[in-house]
Amino acid sequence: MKRLLSTTALIAMATATTASAETLRIGLATAQTGGLAPYDAPVIEGVHIAVDEINATGGIGGTTPIELVERDVRSDPAQTSIAAQELVDDGVSVLVLPCDADPALAAIGIVAAAQVPAISTCASSPTLPLIGGDYMFANFPGDNVQATVSAEWAWGEGMKTGYILYSPDTQYTTMPLYFAEVFEKLGGQMLGEDTYSIGQQDFSAITTRIAALSPQPDVVMTSAYEPDFPSFLKALRAAGVTSQVIGSDGIDSPTTFSLGDAAEGVVFSTAGHATPGSPLEAFNAKYEEVMGHPTETVFNAVGYDLIKVIEAAALAAGSTEPQALRDAIADLENVQGATSMITYKGTDGMPVRQVSLIRVKGGERELVGQPSPTADLVPAARMQ
Amino acid sequence: MITASPRHIVLSILAALAFVVIAAVGATIVGPAGERVLTVFFISLIAVLGIGVYSGNSGILSFGHMSFVAIGAYVSSLLTLPAAVKAATLPKLPEWLAATELGLLPAIAVAVAVTALVALVVGLALGRLDGSAATIATLGLLIIVHGIIIGWRDVTRGSGTFFGVPRDTSLWIAAAGCLVALIVARLYRDSISGLRLRATRENAIAAGAVGVNLRRERLISWVLSAALMAVSGALIAHFLGAFSPKKFYFVDTFQLLAMLIVGGMTTTTGAVVGAVAITVVTEFLRRLESGIDIAGFTTPQVFGTTQIGIAAIILIAMFRKADGIAGLKEWEERLFPPRTADVGDGRLTKVSDRAALTAKAMTMRFGGLTAVNDVSLKLTPGEIVGLIGPNGSGKTTLLNMLSGIIAPSEGEFSLAGKVLNGEPTYRIADLGIARTFQNIRLFPSLTVHQNVLVAALSTGGGRDAEGRAAAALENLGIAEHSGSDAGTLSYGDQRRVEIARALACQPSLLFLDEPAAGMNREETDALMETLRALSRDLGIGILLVDHDLGLINRLCDRILVLNEGNLIAEGAPDMIREDPAVIEAYLGRRND
Repeated sequence: MKRLLSTTALIAMATATTASAETLRIGLATAQTGGLAPYDAPVIEGVHIAVDEINATGGIGGTTPIELVERDVRSDPAQTSIAAQELVDDGVSVLVLPCDADPALAAIGIVAAAQVPAISTCASSPTLPLIGGDYMFANFPGDNVQATVSAEWAWGEGMKTGYILYSPDTQYTTMPLYFAEVFEKLGGQMLGEDTYSIGQQDFSAITTRIAALSPQPDVVMTSAYEPDFPSFLKALRAAGVTSQVIGSDGIDSPTTFSLGDAAEGVVFSTAGHATPGSPLEAFNAKYEEVMGHPTETVFNAVGYDLIKVIEAAALAAGSTEPQALRDAIADLENVQGATSMITYKGTDGMPVRQVSLIRVKGGERELVGQPSPTADLVPAARMQ
Repeated sequence: MITASPRHIVLSILAALAFVVIAAVGATIVGPAGERVLTVFFISLIAVLGIGVYSGNSGILSFGHMSFVAIGAYVSSLLTLPAAVKAATLPKLPEWLAATELGLLPAIAVAVAVTALVALVVGLALGRLDGSAATIATLGLLIIVHGIIIGWRDVTRGSGTFFGVPRDTSLWIAAAGCLVALIVARLYRDSISGLRLRATRENAIAAGAVGVNLRRERLISWVLSAALMAVSGALIAHFLGAFSPKKFYFVDTFQLLAMLIVGGMTTTTGAVVGAVAITVVTEFLRRLESGIDIAGFTTPQVFGTTQIGIAAIILIAMFRKADGIAGLKEWEERLFPPRTADVGDGRLTKVSDRAALTAKAMTMRFGGLTAVNDVSLKLTPGEIVGLIGPNGSGKTTLLNMLSGIIAPSEGEFSLAGKVLNGEPTYRIADLGIARTFQNIRLFPSLTVHQNVLVAALSTGGGRDAEGRAAAALENLGIAEHSGSDAGTLSYGDQRRVEIARALACQPSLLFLDEPAAGMNREETDALMETLRALSRDLGIGILLVDHDLGLINRLCDRILVLNEGNLIAEGAPDMIREDPAVIEAYLGRRND
């Protein structure tokens, strides 16, 4: 009888411990298939590495393990809306939304109504938190900031004339409009612009137009990504245009480094670079150790950053309650991520992060610089 | 007007009501997740029913209906989107639209009207196509509308996310929409238009020959189905709150068609069964996709399982049950088969118009072959004329010309002085020329009663259609089979149904193409009596093609003989029997 009693007590104790041990549940509604999978999939790898690392030490602050609840949204806004609603109903404390602002925006109604903070894996459009409201955060240097860094670099290199190619299909692909604005403000001259549709196969009309310019532009800037960027770049070089090409984080993928001569010399802005002794170098080593192959894109590290931000917020809030987490994220300052220091304080949800400029050289990445943009030059965020 | 028995209609509506209410209450008990799954289910079901109204009844598979969902979604969302959101995300909207802010219901009404209008225009063009050409054209529609939505950036945000739509679609609103769709689809199926359309699905040529205007019925169902799709689109838009053109493209088309095909296209029962089956499987696979715990074992994450699963179900359905799980009948038709005694009394009126059919110099050439050459004839109500000739002599071709199924190369035919060249078959049927076919062309999956009723409803303005149908069935002695599917009858009975169907058109002239083929002697004699009575009592003129010369000789007042497309003899049976040209045509030339 005594034994029975003690067993019951033991079970009761065990149950009590499980109940009191708080878990931070993070809902991942990301694109594991479809057009955004090349970005979201590596981010989620980074997320897992960070979560495993934290949970191995007993959780956030040694007490609060992280539980991930995952959904594939197939790069589709409608699916994002459905998955976000399911995760919110499921009681997650934080939502992680797809990389691009457009599908992420599909969840704003749900996020605002449920008052659960949401972070896009790697959307860089400053309009996302602007339109998304108080509960929507980004996890990447903003388009306007990236464009300013690129434009200042081009101007500093003595380039005087420019040409942009953008697509009104998504917010992200309109980044060149910010570039043109800054470049002209600096004194540069825009020779023209072209638009394309995402998924457009044939860029020959556009590249012929650029090749026909006399003199040719010093710099051609676009934020096109796969599969458009490789097609465009090859067509541009085939048309005989030798201008400097500037891209953005969307081309920070293995594809770009495997294009051979066509991509040689292309410069793009992205979230970080593994300089010796940097946190990113440490992360990359860790990645290789865990996954068994070296990282091929900075988006792995961006996923790690995402969890570091949530960890810092949970520590600051001392709670897993969504509202407290939101307030804590909005107040974060100088969180050490794998790619850079991250600050949300004083922003509307678009973090202040370092921008790295990378040059493609011999199929490898070469750091051009990690300059800070001139604050006055950064254009205001806008729907365009 | 509804052609089905009131009992069936009441049963099906009550069942629909019970189904929707029980499901909705059940989901409310399960909780928010259950409510959401059911809301999406209801909205999908509306769309499946919408496609079914057209594809199920017409037999033309449509890949394009998702475009109507898209139009419904975008139009309604543009109307309900708060003005502030419009100003921020769609700055280039026309002023009147930017300032508009409607509630969900008026927005749905406008969306339905706009979509129906688009469908009307598209349907007028599409109506000119048949079969797989029409199906391919619907595919074109899907792609064109998708392209327009992507291109019309000022209004649709292009391929970007259209977001900020008020999330007003509650479970009960979706349930109400679904109930309306269930009732509309069920009523349409057994409406006059629906019955006619189903007849065209079963056999388009025969439907035309009994007075059905195929294009008109297809257009009606096309527009009605588009309207249902628009309701579905408006509801899904206001459920999700955000969507992009991708939501209304191949993946979702595929999903809806899967529901339709798995369940069975031709019935609302099938639509419900298919939607339930696919929803259950999808929900299960979607959870499987993210990895679930089964008895302590966690399945690995495999994204993309859902699509593969649905594709597999379609394949299985295609192999095992090509007509879908529910088959060709509604559940209530299966459980409570129509009583044969349902057929009331009625009679056929005597032919009052004595106008004769006159054909002059009818010629038909197929390439180099002249099937019918310069044949003239006259047929008057009240007389029975035999048309005989060896196989391939052009008898059926002549009948096809005279009933408008093929256009003559030369020649003119007229009824009471009205030239009939170029008139569509359904007009000719309505003017009083009915016919049967050499190779039986019934509507096999419709009941015998429905076969005959379609003809009665589609001719003579549909006046006293039930009475005419009943009388025609009675006349041919097949009233006892009225509740059976025409395709299940014996060969002889099928022949009789075809004659009854032609008779229900209340014709003044009747063309019978080998009516006695496959009948035994007793059956042939009975048929002969029937035909004689039709001519004697009702004053119907009969043009009879048959190889049974005994039948022809005993029945006909006059005989026409065709050989190799030429009219070689014409006259009373006695005269024809003696005619050397006829003997030669049938027996060959004597070699002496």
